[in-house]
Amino acid sequence: MHLVLQDLANGILAGGILAVVALGFSLVWGIMNIINLAHGAFVMLGAYLTYQLFASLHVDPFLSLPVSFVVMFAAGYLLQRYLINWVVRAPILTTFLLTFGLSLLFVNIALIVWTGDQRGVTTAYAGANFTIVGVTIPWVKLYTLLVALVITGVMHLWLTRSKTGRAIRATSMDIGAAQLSGVRVASIYAIVYGLGAGLAGVAGSLISMSYAINPNMGEPFLIKAFVVCVLGGLGSVQGALVGGLVYGIVEAFATQLDFTIGTQHISGSGLQDAIALAVLLIVLIVRPTGIMGKATA
Amino acid sequence: MVAPLKRIGLGGITGSPVAIGVALALMALLLLVPLGHNGYIEIVFRNILMYAAMAYGWNLIGGYTGYVSFGQVAFFGIGAYCSAVLSAHNVDNLFADVALACVVTALFAVLVGLPVLRLKGHYFAIATLGIGLALSDIVANLDVLGASSGLAVHHVDEAHFYVYYYAMWLVALGAMLATYFIARSKLGFAFVAIRENEEAAAVLGIDATRYKIIAWAISAMMAGSAGAVFAPANGFLDPSIAFSADSNIFPIVMGILGGVGTVAGPFIGALILAGANELLQKYFIKIHTLFFGAMIVLVVLLLSRGLVWLFGLKGGARTWLKSLTAYKA
Repeated sequence: MHLVLQDLANGILAGGILAVVALGFSLVWGIMNIINLAHGAFVMLGAYLTYQLFASLHVDPFLSLPVSFVVMFAAGYLLQRYLINWVVRAPILTTFLLTFGLSLLFVNIALIVWTGDQRGVTTAYAGANFTIVGVTIPWVKLYTLLVALVITGVMHLWLTRSKTGRAIRATSMDIGAAQLSGVRVASIYAIVYGLGAGLAGVAGSLISMSYAINPNMGEPFLIKAFVVCVLGGLGSVQGALVGGLVYGIVEAFATQLDFTIGTQHISGSGLQDAIALAVLLIVLIVRPTGIMGKATA
Repeated sequence: MVAPLKRIGLGGITGSPVAIGVALALMALLLLVPLGHNGYIEIVFRNILMYAAMAYGWNLIGGYTGYVSFGQVAFFGIGAYCSAVLSAHNVDNLFADVALACVVTALFAVLVGLPVLRLKGHYFAIATLGIGLALSDIVANLDVLGASSGLAVHHVDEAHFYVYYYAMWLVALGAMLATYFIARSKLGFAFVAIRENEEAAAVLGIDATRYKIIAWAISAMMAGSAGAVFAPANGFLDPSIAFSADSNIFPIVMGILGGVGTVAGPFIGALILAGANELLQKYFIKIHTLFFGAMIVLVVLLLSRGLVWLFGLKGGARTWLKSLTAYKA
């Protein structure tokens, strides 16, 4: 019983981070119709920003979150405005490959700047934890989850209440009508892509506190972000949160699988990508609109 | 919502005939490579032919049928493991390797295609990307296939290595000719009809599911055959070699550089990109992937319609400049 509760807690704690990763990915996908394969690289860059601030200036990782957001937002904004915008309406293959090329560029720049060594952000409080009903919970992961919840809440309010937020949603519903109402699509796209990158950066900073950092760390998060989006329903803030938590829990239990058929030993921890694909296919077949999704064409 | 890919000047269903002639002539020239008795050069060109065969496979499903697959490496890997398993049972015959690879990859394509080909656009792309990654995961955990430490595959002695070169040449040529004849047949028209408008194709009486699965199975056999020849030539196989990200993405970029949905495109793209990659790797070993990333970005921004498109281009540089802003927001 304790083991089940512990897995559940681990799943929820990991799911909060996944929700933030997926949120930015989901916005870009839902509003711009771009699968942003550079999203994983943005997560990685956010993690390195936090690492660098911590290692050279001793900035507390939680204090580096706004820095990550602002820097990555600016990078994403400029990238969309001056590069991706040239082909933003092209068939999916074009944007898919373009963002893949960008991802390769960023990962290799990181390899040159920080080398391939594993890095970590080890704060004084990194190991601190508490135990409740037999479940051990690290403080860092709990705070990370809280930050993730606050971010999704703020994003939801901003998208529904602010003028820019409403313009963003209008663009995703009907580009032509939005343009007629005076929305500048090119600048909305730049803001959305910037937001996507900024959220990825924050997610990377959060991840850096609990996981090892290396230039290739973003890739698994990219695949998971996709599954979370499909799971929760595309383009909605609540969808990303619910999808993230559900996926976190599913993965926490699936990676505990450990059994033997004949001489073949099967362990769930080596099969993360296979688990992600299995969840993806099941959701797409059973409920293609996702848990929180509305039925759309 | 997304503008259809503009194909003005592509020269019909096979692409520019001049480009096909050039491709065939270059292909014939490649027959001479082993005569130089330079092992390194031979491997470089064998890899070009291997990528070309995979690019043709991708072109059939991604280019002609319009289902952008990011999981062709799965078929390459399965084909390679077919040879490895045969070799483990002391069957060392390239014809047997390729035949088994074709059967197994086609079966796998049909089985996986039934659920996956129901998906469209981004969903299809990511599901196929997932298949490649998942297969790599699964094979890395299967003791029968050597798990993550891999399998040795028998091969002929160095003096007879040209056998693998010519086998790969045949696979690439076969893929090119198959693409040509399929494109001009009823099958090719059905594929293109599905790409341009699946609903309209269905209204015309085209059984879209059936044709999509046929396209995917044939594309799987092309990648699988390349894998089947690669495994013994390489002499060793593990999941990171069989399902490498390079073998997944290279063929797609090659198809685009050459020209999506053309007969000459994949080969011309493979020749240029694999050649460039080899040179970068030789002279800039540390930063060659960086260059490759930059190359992808440039190809997508400047040449997304492919080189074959340039062969039949009317209006020259002005048409090309116009094409650059066609998809701007």
